[in-house]
Amino acid sequence: MKTKLAAFAAITIIACNAMTSKAAAEDITAIRAEIKQLEESYETRIDELETRLKMMEATESRTVGSEGPSNAGAGGDRRIFNNTFNPSIGVILNGKYSDFSETTSEFAGFAVGEEGERGREGLAIDESEINFSASVDDKFYSSLTAAIVREDGEDKIELEEAYAQTMADFGLPTGLSAKAGRAFWTLGYLNEHHAHADDFADRPLPYRVFLNKSFNDDGMEFSYVLPTDLYAEVGGGLFRGDDFPFGNADGEIFRQWSSYARVGGDIGNAQSWRLGGYLLSGEPTGGRASNEDTVTFIGDTKLYVTDLRYTWAPGGNSRQNEVILQGEYFWRDESGTYEDTNAATGAVNLDDSSSGWYAQAVYKFNPRWRIGGRYSRLEAANVPAGLAGSALDASGHDPEAYGAMVDWTNSEFSRFRVQFNHEKLSDGQNDNQLITQYIMSFGAHGAHKY
Amino acid sequence: MIKLIVLILAGSLYVTPLIAQAEVNIFACEPEWEALAKELGGNRVQTFSATHAKQNPHYIRARPSLIAKARNADLVICSGAGLEVGWLPLLLQKGTVDVQPGAVGHLMASEYVPVIEKPTSVDRSMGDVHPEGNPHIHLNPHNVLLVAKELVRRMKKLDSANTEFFQKRVTDFEIRWRQAIIDWEEQANFITGSSVVVHHKSFSYLNNWLELKQVASLEPKPGIPPNVQHLEGLLQQLSTEEVDIIIRTPYEPDEASEWLSDKTGIPALILPYTIGGDAETGDLFALFDRTLVLLKGALRDQ
Repeated sequence: MKTKLAAFAAITIIACNAMTSKAAAEDITAIRAEIKQLEESYETRIDELETRLKMMEATESRTVGSEGPSNAGAGGDRRIFNNTFNPSIGVILNGKYSDFSETTSEFAGFAVGEEGERGREGLAIDESEINFSASVDDKFYSSLTAAIVREDGEDKIELEEAYAQTMADFGLPTGLSAKAGRAFWTLGYLNEHHAHADDFADRPLPYRVFLNKSFNDDGMEFSYVLPTDLYAEVGGGLFRGDDFPFGNADGEIFRQWSSYARVGGDIGNAQSWRLGGYLLSGEPTGGRASNEDTVTFIGDTKLYVTDLRYTWAPGGNSRQNEVILQGEYFWRDESGTYEDTNAATGAVNLDDSSSGWYAQAVYKFNPRWRIGGRYSRLEAANVPAGLAGSALDASGHDPEAYGAMVDWTNSEFSRFRVQFNHEKLSDGQNDNQLITQYIMSFGAHGAHKY
Repeated sequence: MIKLIVLILAGSLYVTPLIAQAEVNIFACEPEWEALAKELGGNRVQTFSATHAKQNPHYIRARPSLIAKARNADLVICSGAGLEVGWLPLLLQKGTVDVQPGAVGHLMASEYVPVIEKPTSVDRSMGDVHPEGNPHIHLNPHNVLLVAKELVRRMKKLDSANTEFFQKRVTDFEIRWRQAIIDWEEQANFITGSSVVVHHKSFSYLNNWLELKQVASLEPKPGIPPNVQHLEGLLQQLSTEEVDIIIRTPYEPDEASEWLSDKTGIPALILPYTIGGDAETGDLFALFDRTLVLLKGALRDQ
């Protein structure tokens, strides 16, 4: 302000005097320019000083109360710096109340693993997850997720994920990264996600029969995001072969592997999509045990999966409203021998395929409320005469399930859900299920994938 | 099978050299930073904004399209201070070494300005609080200048051939911007000291700069949508306290502020908040021009 007044006064005085001569007009312009310059540099300086002052004030308030170890020897004020490097810790609690109209639930034509079975009835806590994650150093990132689950009347710790992943500094070409350990590997849409992030309280039928809920074998995987404007990612992995759909690996590498490719993009401001194709293949020497170890399959399994996800948020603001459409198709090609000890079939050769799919829609009509519907269906393999009457004999029935849910999300960290399922998994079975669920997440909470 | 894997590996590596761009490829998390990059980089940079004005930058999905854009970026500029914590880390995973935290192509604007509303303690019961402080820093034009200087420093490092060009652009921008600040601050005399109710604390820097009094927010706690009890409480509060105006961003829902406006007669106003926030807000200069015009208009009507 002062500068301006002074400048104005100066200009006025100069202007008055200058009226007399024409030559002075040029001087006026020159002086004006000079004053303007002065004014500008003056203001720059003030601004800079003000900013510095603010910055210093900010830093000062930040450091108050955390003074250095001035009396380190006395012990009272000592800081233990090892804590600084503690990993991020996140905990997820998941509780359910389930009510089923049928006492048993069997899949016609499919033998399933333990986690593929229907959940427990009544009040029960589902998996409680604990996750630790952090950058290891400049080149690696690691994460460990353990789930505490109830199995056979006991609380057991199940290692869901324990992996190391390369970071950009590792020096692989841009877009290429590798992951090793145990993880929810890239296979379809849901497999990569932890169950607490699902839009429904249970996994759809194909996940239950083909993957025993999820595929998290020990192994390694690489992924490469292509340098294209359209999102395109390819990758593949090698696995031990211990986890469903494989089992009892002998440790030989290269017998179980996967590859995948997917693309995705936006349509305008409000819509986006992703489409993928995946193949998981294995020739484990050991057998896959299912139906509480009564059914064993020994042989080659090829699982082809394709997934499509589409989201539409009016105006692009998914915080307010959103529609999510999602579907996956599974096709399993098996060649080997099946044995059902319950039906005393002996080992019977089977070389056939089975398939399954689900489609779901979720609509967020309010920042906190969502409703959703889902349909899943399976088609079993045609069994040879030797397996007639066994658990693998579908007797012409294709298992199907309808689901509807409504959930309420208080914040990113808590959600309540009520879901109704109508499952017709085998002939004459009409299982009406009511599931209420809460999901609580506290501590560190990582970003969610698309 | 092994052959297949090797083939895929080899094939995917083969396409890598396709990228050969002369320009600095800038990935901005928000439209205001894209606009700044355009001001300073002109035709020597290529810009992309991950969000638009109708989107709440807190809640963005790490969509496939964003992964592809981030992967090819030379420089990532974002507000920082936790604003993009729900999605940016996933995008950076696939990015180059240069855009990782600490690298030259990783610019978090809030690290270069005085951040306000830094909580002394944080707990999730306080809502969606940012331990780093309020991240909506761009609505104080003095902050924009500080970020501009840092951005140019980074651009020069990434593309040293254009050092002079960038220097010229930033000097030119600074002169115009300082003049604009003087004009805005003169205009603001009229509104200084007014009281506002905000939807979310998105306008704290603007209020701080214009010396507007932030009386309350429609959200009971940051990130928690307005609810009836809180709004009733606000109504009570406003019967004794004078408030001139209720403001919100284009991406925030209108129900709460319109309801309060109906009950109290206090005008509810959408400020552009960022580039593209309304039809007239095409660049950073227009953003502040428009904001002041709208504020002045609403206050004059009373």
